[in-house]
This record gives sequence, C-alpha cells and structure tokens, in this order.
Amino acid sequence: MFGNPLTILTLGPILAGFAFMLVAWAAPPSKRKEISQYIRLLIFAFSLLLLSLSTLMFLESYSGISWTSLALNEYVYDNCANAEIAIEAGGCSLVDGFGVSWHVGVDGLSFPMVWLTTLLIPISMLVEWNAKKGAQFHSLILMMEGALIGVFVSLDLFVFYTFWELTLIPMFFLILLWGGENRKYAAQKFFIYTFTASVLMLLGILVMYYFTRVPVWDGNLTGRAFDITLMASSSNTLGSAFLGGFGMQKAVFLLLLVGFAAKMPSVPVHTWLPDAHVQAPTAGSMLLAGVMLKMGAYGFLRIAVELLPGAMVHYQLLLIVLGMISLVYGAMVCLGQTNLKRMVAYSSVSHMGLIFIGIATMQPLGIAGAIFMMLAHGIISPYLFAVCGAFKHHYHTLEIGSMRGIAKFSPWLGGHMMAAWMGSLGLPLMAGFVAEVAIMIAFWMAFGWWVILPALTLIITAAYYLWSMQRTIFEGGDEGQLPDSLHGDEPVDVSWHENAGMFILAVFAIVLGVLPFIFFDMMSSYSNEFVTEVLLDVLNEVMP
Amino acid sequence: MSDTKTSEMRFLPIIGLCLLFPLLRMFGGEMATGTPFTALESAFLIPLIPMVIFPVIAILGQMNHGDEAWRERFKEGGMIALCTLAISLSLTIWLAIEFFTKGSSFEDPLRASVFNWINFETITQDAAGNWIHLKSDSLGVGLWIDNVSMMLLFVASFLCFLICWFSLGYMNTDPVNKDRNHRFYAEFVLFTAGMLGMVLADSFLWLFIFWEIMGLCSYLLIGFYYERPSAAYAAKKAFLTTRVGDVFLLIGLLMLYDIYGSLEFAVIFGDPSLHGTVDVNMLRWALIMLFIGAVGKSAQFPLHVWLPDAMEGPTPVSALIHAATMVNAGLYLVARFVPFFDVTGHGHGVEGLGDVAILIAWIGGITAFMAALIAFVQNDIKKVLAYSTMSQLAYIFTGLGVALWFYNHGEHHAAVIAFGASMFHLFNHAMAKGMLFMASGSVIHEMHHAHHGSHDEMDPQDMRNMGGLAGKLPITSTAMAIGSASIIGIPLIGGFWSKEGIVAETWNAAALHGGTWLLVPAFLILLTAGMTGFYMTRMWMMTFAGKPKTVYADKVHEHTPWIPTPLITLSVISLLGGFALAVLGATHWLGEAEAFGTAIHEHGLVFAILDTIVHAFLPTDMFLFLITWVAISISLVVGPAMAMRIHGGRLKSGESAPRLISWILPLSSKFGRTQVDDLANSGLADALHRRLYFDELYDWAIGKTVIPLAYALSWFDKNVIDGAIKGIEWGSQKISGDVRKLTTGRPSDYIMMAVIGTFSILILLWGVI
Repeated sequence: MFGNPLTILTLGPILAGFAFMLVAWAAPPSKRKEISQYIRLLIFAFSLLLLSLSTLMFLESYSGISWTSLALNEYVYDNCANAEIAIEAGGCSLVDGFGVSWHVGVDGLSFPMVWLTTLLIPISMLVEWNAKKGAQFHSLILMMEGALIGVFVSLDLFVFYTFWELTLIPMFFLILLWGGENRKYAAQKFFIYTFTASVLMLLGILVMYYFTRVPVWDGNLTGRAFDITLMASSSNTLGSAFLGGFGMQKAVFLLLLVGFAAKMPSVPVHTWLPDAHVQAPTAGSMLLAGVMLKMGAYGFLRIAVELLPGAMVHYQLLLIVLGMISLVYGAMVCLGQTNLKRMVAYSSVSHMGLIFIGIATMQPLGIAGAIFMMLAHGIISPYLFAVCGAFKHHYHTLEIGSMRGIAKFSPWLGGHMMAAWMGSLGLPLMAGFVAEVAIMIAFWMAFGWWVILPALTLIITAAYYLWSMQRTIFEGGDEGQLPDSLHGDEPVDVSWHENAGMFILAVFAIVLGVLPFIFFDMMSSYSNEFVTEVLLDVLNEVMP
Repeated sequence: MSDTKTSEMRFLPIIGLCLLFPLLRMFGGEMATGTPFTALESAFLIPLIPMVIFPVIAILGQMNHGDEAWRERFKEGGMIALCTLAISLSLTIWLAIEFFTKGSSFEDPLRASVFNWINFETITQDAAGNWIHLKSDSLGVGLWIDNVSMMLLFVASFLCFLICWFSLGYMNTDPVNKDRNHRFYAEFVLFTAGMLGMVLADSFLWLFIFWEIMGLCSYLLIGFYYERPSAAYAAKKAFLTTRVGDVFLLIGLLMLYDIYGSLEFAVIFGDPSLHGTVDVNMLRWALIMLFIGAVGKSAQFPLHVWLPDAMEGPTPVSALIHAATMVNAGLYLVARFVPFFDVTGHGHGVEGLGDVAILIAWIGGITAFMAALIAFVQNDIKKVLAYSTMSQLAYIFTGLGVALWFYNHGEHHAAVIAFGASMFHLFNHAMAKGMLFMASGSVIHEMHHAHHGSHDEMDPQDMRNMGGLAGKLPITSTAMAIGSASIIGIPLIGGFWSKEGIVAETWNAAALHGGTWLLVPAFLILLTAGMTGFYMTRMWMMTFAGKPKTVYADKVHEHTPWIPTPLITLSVISLLGGFALAVLGATHWLGEAEAFGTAIHEHGLVFAILDTIVHAFLPTDMFLFLITWVAISISLVVGPAMAMRIHGGRLKSGESAPRLISWILPLSSKFGRTQVDDLANSGLADALHRRLYFDELYDWAIGKTVIPLAYALSWFDKNVIDGAIKGIEWGSQKISGDVRKLTTGRPSDYIMMAVIGTFSILILLWGVI
C-alpha cells in the first residue's frame, strides 16, 4: 500500500513539508538563517526528485506503461485493482466501517495533471527563490504539492474530498502571510468562498455514497463505499437507475457542478479568483492558476461527467451557456481591467470556459481538447503570473498604464511577457493553440455556426493582451516612463532564478505546442474510451 | 567604398560554405544510413533550421549586449542569420533540382510525412439518429511541393537571403539600432521559418499555423521601434486586423474538416467533390471564410487598413514581409482553391462556385482601384509603395478570381493562362517590390545620414524633401526605375508579361465568356493600370528628378556597404527575368505543369521568343488586341506623362544620371507643366489623405462600442456579481451577530436549545434511515 509511487508522491511531500517546517521552526534563532538556506535547497532537491519520479512513471520505455491503451476505469499504479475483492481483503481499506479506502491510481486524465503538479512545484519555488522566511514558504509549497497530487490520484471520494479541502490550508497561509496589502480579506474570501462551494459538492458526494450499493463485507457497517471504481461499475450496470432515478442524478450533478464550477472558476461564481490572485505571492498565484483551477475541471470530469453521464447529457445546454458566458464575458472583462494581475486572472476565467465548452461537445476530440487545455493552461498561466510577479517585484506596481517602454529597461522581462502573452492568446506552436483547435473542431461538429462566439473571443483575447503590452513594455519614447512606485530607483531586469523558471515554462509551452501528442494521445484515448463505452449508450438509449 | 568591399568580402567565404550545406547533409545520410539523404528528406530542415536559430540569436544577443566582437564579427547576429538563410536557400535550390529532375508537378507533387501532430476520434449521428463512432483520425505534419509551392519557396528563401544581406548594411550602420539588432535578426529568421513552413505545409492546418507565426513576426518587426507610440500602435493594429481575418480562416478550416474529415491537401485535392456528394452551400461558405482570412493577410479591402501603418517597421521588414513574402500568403491560400473549382475534366471540382470566384475578383478590383487612388496623394515614399503593394496584390486576386471562374465554367485553357499569369505576377511583383522597398530604404538611409547631426526636423521619408537624387544615388535610382517599370508593366520588362495576362483574361472572361459580373473588376483593373503608371512615375520623379528640394538632399551620396549587391541582383532579375521566364513558358508551367521550355525544345529559341512577343502584343482576337493596346498605352504613356507634367524636371546643372536612365530626365521636362494646387486642396484629396475614412470608421466603431462595453462589464463584475457575494457576506455577518444574541447566559435557555436540537436530529435520522 505504501510502496506505491503515487502514495509516495502524495504523502511524501506532505510529511517532508511538515518535517522541514518543524526543523525551520525549531532552529535556534542564531542559526536560523543558515539552516533556512539548507532547508530551501533540500526542499528544492526533494521536489526535483518527485519530478523525476513522475517523469519516469510517464516514460513508456522505463515504466512499460502504454498510456494510450488503457480501458475505461482501468488505472495504472492502482494499489487496489479490482476494488471489490481487494477492499474486502483489507488490502487498501482505511476505515472499514464506512467503506473508506486508500485507493490511488492514474489514467490518461489524471496523470498529466500529476506530472504538471510535480513540474510546477520546483518552478514556482525557483521563481520565488528568495522569498521571505524561505524555509517556511517552500515547505508550505511542498505540502501543497502533496495535497494537490492527492486530489488527482485518489480514487476514493472521501480521500478525494479530504485532499480537496487540504489544498486550501497551505494556500490560505501563503496568501495570508506572504500576500499583498489586502491579504487578510483575500485569504478569507478565498477560503470561505471555495469552502462553501465544496460543501455543496460534499453533499453531492454523500448522496452518491448513499446510493452506491456494494456487496457487504466484514466490518462494513453501511454497506456502501466511497470508491469511484465501484460507483462507476454500479452506474454502468444500473444505467439511469443509479442514484434511484434520473431526477436524483440531475440533482447530484447540479450540486457537484456548483462545487467544481466555483473552483474552475466559471461565471458567476468566479469573483474570488481575481482577489485571491492579486493578493497572492507569485508562487501562490502560479500554483493557484496552474493546478488548483484544474482541480475543478478534473473533478468535474472524473466525478460529475464520468459517473453521471446521463445528467451531463441532460445539462449539455447549461454547460455550453456557462462555458460561453465565462469565455466571452471573461474576455470582455479582461479588456476593461487596469491591473495586470487582475487581467490575467480574468483571462483564466475566460480560458476555463473553453473547458466546459469542450466537454459539452460530447466529442472525444472536444473532451481531449478540454483536458489538453487543462495542461496547456497549467503551463502558460503560471508563466503569465511569473511575469506579473516580476513586475510587482521589480517595479512595485501592476497598474497597466502607469509605465511605458519597460522593454528598454528590462529586456528579459519584456521578452518573457511577449512569449507568455502570445502563448495565452493562442499562438500556434504553443500549447494553448492545440487545445483551442481541438475544441473548436469538435465545437463546429456539434454546434455549427455558434462557433462565431468563441472565434470572436479569440480576437478580444488578442486585443486585451496586445493592448496591455502596448501600455507597459512598449511606447514611452527614447526615455521610457518608469512607474511612480519605483520612487526614482534604478530599474532592474528579472533575477536569474526568475529568468530560469520562466524559461523552463516557455520551453514546455513550446514543446507541447509543437509535439502535443506527447500528452494529447493519452487524453484522446481516455476520452475516446469514455465516449464509446459510456456516452454513446447514454446518448442512444438512456436519453429519450 | 574600399572599406565596403573588404567588409563584404571578408564574410563571403563563410556564406559560400553555408551554401554547401546540402553536401554535408548528403554525407551525413551516407554515414547514418548508407545512402545519401535526398533533398526531399532534408526539406523539413528548410523551416526548421531558421526556427531553431531564432532563440539562439535572441539569447546570444541579449547575453552579449554591447560586446565589441558581437557587434563587429557577428554583426549583432546578422551573420548568423545570413548563414542560416544561406543554408535554407541552398536546401531550396537542392530541392528545386530534385523537383525538376523527378519531373514533379501538380498531379505528382513531392510529398513527405513528418509526424502525427495529434491523434483523436470523433463520433457522429447516423441517418437514423443514432450516435455512432465515426473514425479514428489524426492531424499530421508533412510536406507538399508542387509547382506553385516550389515557385513560392524559391521566391521566399531567395528574397529572405537577399534582404538579410541588405539589412546588414541598412540596420547595422544606423546608430539608432545599435545594440538591438539581434532582436531584428532573431525575428527575421523566425519569420523566414514561418514563411517557408507555410509554403511547404501539406495541410490547411499547418498552413494556418505558420501563417500565424508570420503574423507574430510581422507584429514584432513592425513594433521594432517599440518606444515610438506610432510603431506600437501600428503593430497592434496589424496583428488585430489580420487576426480578424485569421479567425474566419480558422472557421473555414473547421468547416473543411467537417466536410472532408481531413485538412490534408492529399485528401481534399484527391476528390473535392466527394464523388459529387459534397454540400455545395457548405463548401461555398467554407471557401468564403478562408478567403476572408486571405483578405486580412494580403491587406485587401475592407481589412486593408493595417498595411500602410505597417511601414513603421524598419525598411527591410517592409521589403520582406509587407511586400515580397508574407502578404503573398493570402494569394497562396486562394491559389490552393483550384481543385475545388476545377470542373474542366482535369480535376474533380464542384460546380456552382462561380459566385465565390466573382467575389474574389470584385474584392481584387475594388482594392486595386482604391489603393491606387490613395497612392496618388501619398508623400511618404514607403507609403506609396505600400499602397502600390496593396494594389498589385489586388491584381493577382482578380486574376485568381478569374482563373477560378474559368475553372468553374469548364474553360480549361483560359483558366490555366489566368492562373499562371497570376502566379507569375506574384513572382514578378515580389522581386520588383522587394527591390523597390530596398531601394527606398537606400534613399531613406542616405537622406537620414545626410541629415544626421543637424538640429532641424526633417522627415527622411518625405519625398517633398528629396528631389534630384538621380545623379547622387546612381545604383538606387536605376534600380528604382527598373522596379517601377516592372510594376507599371512597361513592355518587355518583368511585370508586363504577367499583368497583361491578368488584364486580358479578365476581359476575356467578362466580355467574351459571359461573365457579366466580372465587368466591374475588369474595368477597375484596366483603369488601375494607367493609375499605376501615374503614381509610380510620380514617386520616381519626386525623388530623383528635378532640383534638390532641401539642403540635405543635396548632400546625399551612396556609400553604405551591403546595400548595392541585392539591388543589382534584383534589378537584373526584374529587367530580364520576366522576359526570360515568359519565353520559357512560366505561365504554362505555373498553370498546368507543362514542362519548362517546351516551346524552345520543340521549335527553337528564336521561335519561342517571337511567339511570346506575338502572343503578348498581337492576340488573334480583335477585342483582346484592343484591350492589350489600351492597357499598354495608358500605363506606358498616359499615366507616366501626366506624372511627368507635374513632377518631372532636369537635374541640377553639372550632375548627370546613370546612363541606363539618363534619357528619362530630359524626356520628363518635355511634357510641360501642370499646376495641381487646386486639386491638391480639394475635398477628394483630403478624403484620400485620410485614406477614405476607413481608419476613422473602425476606430470609432471600436472606441464607441467595444471599449465602453468592456469597462461597463468590468464595473458590472466588480459591483454586481462580486457585490452580490459581498452582500451575502455582510448578511451572514449580521445574522451571526443576531445569533450571538441567543447566547443569553441563562441555563434554562440552553436546556431548551439542547432539547430542540436533539429532537431535530432524531427527526432527521428517522427521515433518512
């Protein structure tokens, strides 16, 4: 059970983070600074170790896993394969009485997210290499890594929910202790807002739990289990009868939708995001946008869509409307922003809208595109926030228009801004474009001329990104114009560690744009399995 | 000058070595697999090498910022760029040799598959309404080289190389650019990668991908002087305007994929009618969408507004991107429409697409006329050329529209001629206009140099500050004269051969084959032929003829290294290349893949030359004969003569123009003079100066609708949506304040609450279990 690499990826960083935090806390004040240096290095090395572990898991030549030939509900590194038997045998049970088990596994949907998390953690550490109280800061990020990976690998809804809420704690402290001027308000809003939404999701999960009948085994008092694979099998065999009828399915779907939509976030439950981002430290923003938003999309696919396909088909129109509004409205709001980080935050809302749209096309291509969007956005949006962070750090302001001609003073920063902005507006040969093309092809096949709306959004997206660049790094004449917040100091370029972190992100954004099949094919195979095995039947039979 | 020579000579061996790259590649293949790599196997390197070099130059340049060796030996990255482009050019020539020796053509293009970009599956609804699995599919990357792409590939890599060469002189000797040329060269090679990749692509998807890469480079290079607000604005405008077109192009791709289940040329061109089952209406819309993309990229009405502003970029950029290569992308895309339209028995086209062809011709005709009209009043030398580019591209669009119309009406021979002439005009125009921009760059550079150090304000691009430069800039003025002649279509020179073809075939379609709808574009482009004669002559006369209009113009002389070589090369090509290629049968080769030089082979050289001339000047059909001579006379005589009456004049005494063009100046003073002040102050001139109000209209539309809406929505988001959340927050705080009052501190109240609580829990449990 604990020899599973996924368990290591989940619990390892949490335990290590605690340990490092304790050491940093217990260090004698005279040596605190020195020890803190070492701890920071150790934490970084540890996160690199985890990155290599997840990369080795990915490489077919090493792990022997053929990612593109997994069947639906077949997971690799599954510590509890064939859950019914395994749980009964006590192999992976955590709480016998309620059917809670430590069941982990990954497939073409979750593995890219796991890998993305292990990639982003060291990069975000690198970008904020010199954060104040570095040891604590980096330990918190490490704990965050464990919690995030836990969300993606756990196949038990109870454990899933635990990790889901657990991610809030390190992020809460990151914002509260390292955030900007208005950090208290932002941290509380972030916590309460997303927590409230998750409670609705929990309600949905409990109802699903209540209706999941499994063969009673010794010690199971409720005769029910939180295991996703068991739920999936009962949803498959019982069809619409699952959850005691279609009405109940729909109700549960809506509850889950609220929880996940708030996390993604989708209009109208998105307003926590700009506040949290603007106040969060750079690394926090990077992880928030890069991974935490993906939790919403991942959970939606894994639980709401996979387990309640009938309800998903029923609410297709709702999904499209939500996605469309997020996409178009988010982009328009971006155009009206005057704060760089706020603009980037709203651009996340806009891009996440595409995920709903991709899923709602019900095409394997569209769903795969939505999953690829999670990965692409997971690489590009941290890049965006790293650039914003550099502005905040070196120019002490994020006001668009308070400065001009910054490319002259900070050419590296200007270059990174250009690359990140271009990646996010969907420049071909960068990762975001792949997702956009896949989703839009599928969208045309499903909805035809409505494609005008997402297409026009592409123009608006280009407009707000270019406009913001024009008013920050460009213009300004031969002298340029520095922001007042610099108080006449000499402007500086990005520091080496920021530069390194941003470079890595740029390289991955381009590699995944040129050779998207690296991850796209496994996503494609996952979505195809889901559509052909489940969704086609639902479309043809369950739905009238 | 001696300094110049050594500077160029020193680098020649390195460039020469780079040209030998194919040998290295063959040898590498020998080592790796035992057989030498073929040119086709190496063709993917043509775009790949520049693409890889892009970050190299950018990063090296940033790291060696201000370093002396980097500035002198590497020319701030210029040498790396030039070597890269030399490699691409050598690979292109190697590929061309293989292309011709293998006898490849439209029916049998050189093809290679590189890798599958993404693999995926799709589902669909069958006739009975059941959802079924449709197919497993992939979007692949590959190469497709037929006659048109071979021609364009050569044009692109050749001009990129020459213009990079020119830039070494133009950019590196200008102190304004000091220590930032690496950015220019990096973006330059990335652009090259985009252009070459687009031409080589074997699918509409990859065509689009590289198309966007070019758009990015265009944006970056227009904004090269980013600190100037006008440049930053122009860059943004160019990107957004073309983006509007690109989005429609993307929609067109989606439709094509839906129709054909693929975006690859091989599949779509295989049978564009799908055995006659394709939905014509859907295909029509798809083609219109694609065409809107082409309109944006090639700066045609109504998405033309970005091109004149794009002249904010350095002149080599204008020469390369905004005259010779990128703006041809739209033409290339439209040229790829042929299989859809071809119902002549040689292809499997779809009938009933004639209206799309007419639309293309109309857009072409309108743009040609409008741009020529605006060019009348421009005083900025680059702006004249920009509008001229727009106008000439529009010619090609008209020609392509006519060709497609003929294809769709089963007229194979006429279609081939119209298509071939259009593509040939693309070639001639690219060569001439690339050179014209470089020559204008030379003028601007020397004007700037003469002005350097003085404190007056002087715009080195304004032709009203020039005059009388013919004697002072002999190479430049000759090159400019030849280029202008090619653009005007002076008989026997460059563009004449192709432009006559386009005009004649348009009239042929309109008047002799019942294409009534084509009459308007036919009239417009005939008129434009004369207007071209006017504005090109006007530009040349204002710049080179008469007396110097400022003291600076009097001090100008040619001295910058690296600049003359490309000018001379392209002058020769423009002067003789058009005729030589016409004799060789370029039109037929581009149109239907008849082998080069068939006529010479069969009947001998003299016959071929005579036959070409007779065909051009003495068409057998009387009507076409008339049209041809009207076109020749208005473009050769009427337009230029009018321009000479206004702007002509002899040089200052004691100066003489180079021999090749010395006859022009005395001639220009023989036509007398016309005063045009009244006309210049008229309402029409004002409207033309303001570009017929298009920019103002668009600015107004965006400024009054989109931007206010954006601000309104962000207010709405902050105050209404988030306000609601804040309201809940406030409300819950108030409730909790009220609830707090329940903690009265009296034991009896607490017992009461405990009892209520217990009951509620029991009731709930009873309900659930």
